[in-house]
Amino acid sequence: MRTFRTPCANNNGFSTVAAVTALLILVALFLFPRFVESPYTLHIMILFFLSTIMGGSWNILGGYTGQYSVGHAAYFGAGAYTTMILMQYKQVPPWYGIWGGIAIVVVVALFIGSICFRLRGPYFVLASIAVAEIMRLTAMNLKDLTNGAEGILATEIPPFTMGGTVITDFLTKVPFYYIGLVLAILTIIVTWLVQNSKLGYCFQAIREDQDAAHSLGINLTIYKNIALIISAVFTSLAGSFYAVYIGFIDPPTVLALDISVQIVLICIIGGIGTIYGPVVGSLVLVPLSEALRSNLIAQAIFKTGMVSEESGIGVFLKDHLAHAHALIYGILVVIVILFMPDGVLGFIKKLTAKKAVTGDRLTVTE
Amino acid sequence: MAILEIKHVSKFFGGLAANSDVSFEMGEGMIMGLIGPNGAGKTTLFNCITGYYPPSRGEILFKGERMNGLQPDRVCKLGMARTWQKVRPLAKMTVLDNVMVGALCRTNSLKVAREMAMEQIRVVRLDLRINFPAGGLPIGERKKLEVARVLATQPQLLLLDEVMGGLNPAESEEIIRLILDIKRRGITQMVIEHDMKAIMRISDRIVVLNSGEKLAEGTPEEIVNNRDVVTAYLGEYHA
Repeated sequence: MRTFRTPCANNNGFSTVAAVTALLILVALFLFPRFVESPYTLHIMILFFLSTIMGGSWNILGGYTGQYSVGHAAYFGAGAYTTMILMQYKQVPPWYGIWGGIAIVVVVALFIGSICFRLRGPYFVLASIAVAEIMRLTAMNLKDLTNGAEGILATEIPPFTMGGTVITDFLTKVPFYYIGLVLAILTIIVTWLVQNSKLGYCFQAIREDQDAAHSLGINLTIYKNIALIISAVFTSLAGSFYAVYIGFIDPPTVLALDISVQIVLICIIGGIGTIYGPVVGSLVLVPLSEALRSNLIAQAIFKTGMVSEESGIGVFLKDHLAHAHALIYGILVVIVILFMPDGVLGFIKKLTAKKAVTGDRLTVTE
Repeated sequence: MAILEIKHVSKFFGGLAANSDVSFEMGEGMIMGLIGPNGAGKTTLFNCITGYYPPSRGEILFKGERMNGLQPDRVCKLGMARTWQKVRPLAKMTVLDNVMVGALCRTNSLKVAREMAMEQIRVVRLDLRINFPAGGLPIGERKKLEVARVLATQPQLLLLDEVMGGLNPAESEEIIRLILDIKRRGITQMVIEHDMKAIMRISDRIVVLNSGEKLAEGTPEEIVNNRDVVTAYLGEYHA
């Protein structure tokens, strides 16, 4: 039987190369802390993993199922708060606490789903924001439980022991690096499993056209809630991980709207509804925001010698460019959305597809 | 036994009666044509039968079971599937994936679903397009995709809402042959169509709706010679 091949469908040779590359990257990532000791570099890597987990979990609900939740801070915060409260006030070690976080997040997610999934499109987005804001205000005011606006500071993390032997005492960043790496890989694996199962097909059908999906025998309520729960559980894990790693949480850092927006941006920049979109998005956004915050751009300008550090403009840049990091970040995000509507990954795919098409034409004319 | 019984079905939107007191029966294996001028309530009746609207009054029985109030996904699982007047391809998914979504209604295995989907894709002759994104298909192929997708849900009763709308004569002819082919496989069909020649050719019986009410029912010959029907379509002068 003859089959019609689109330019990007011919991927047999490509997939072996991809598999080997993925394996090499994985080995490199696992060996990374053996060669790099700089806590700052490790910190950036941990932020990268965290961002991948957050983006990857949103991707299941927003990217595959098309339910654009801008209220994922609710699950991030719920996980963070549960783990921190259990650790700080009940002396429950975080590796048990995260399960508490997951249990609570599932309940919260089903509750939020029962309200928000009655709505579609922009109304769903607004409802998801509203519910997350309710969670933030609740955490702000339930002072007995959450310590309100003062937040919770972790005084110490109990060492992780297994059968009497101490595996790690969490004194360096290395254990966090590995936990983050494993969670990020887990998120990617789960995304892959979803995409290559009935779930993925049903999710995408709902994203493309709810009514058509419904008429093809897909129970919208059940599948939307499955997507929400997978998504919420991983966001909660990210929240718990963040809380224990940073050691301090308060409502503005884990429950605020900017967290929700950030999570969405990771996917939009990388490529919505693709396995590696969140990875690419994190790869762009984490170094970018870090570079802007630590004023690397001004330093780079000085290095090129275009502007001297002592001149009037140089002093201005030195003093103010770092403060404008949110502005520059915002402008860059707008540029990416305008010129790469399918994200960086989609943009790259389009470029390679174009090349493949012109290649085909060449062989035809020969 | 009748596969589908419509008993005194009415649907009101506020004060407007989109369907009022419509009743008819469909025998197994037949093709029922559903015709009527624009706004006669044909698509509303489809929506009531397939669970998108609950009927305001009356009863819908499929294989003797009451269908009122069932959700569309349950209706599909029970063996009744529909296409849409305005086609609804899952645009970013490929043709094969579109049809697989239909097949996944009957199986949990992607492998089985892929085989089931390929079978239906061959029936509608879209096999050269399987890896093509559905959103990029021309209208004629979108209509065929729509049919392949519902066939993959293994229905016993198929409701086709204007599958020939917007097609050129050659494409329409292809769809007519497809519908007759489906009939040969023992699947009962209800067909909404505006192309009178086509509907007269394929239907075993025809129901005519006019402003929400059933105006006439009978074989194609009876309908063509029915004075009321001609009046509804062309006005008093021609009747």
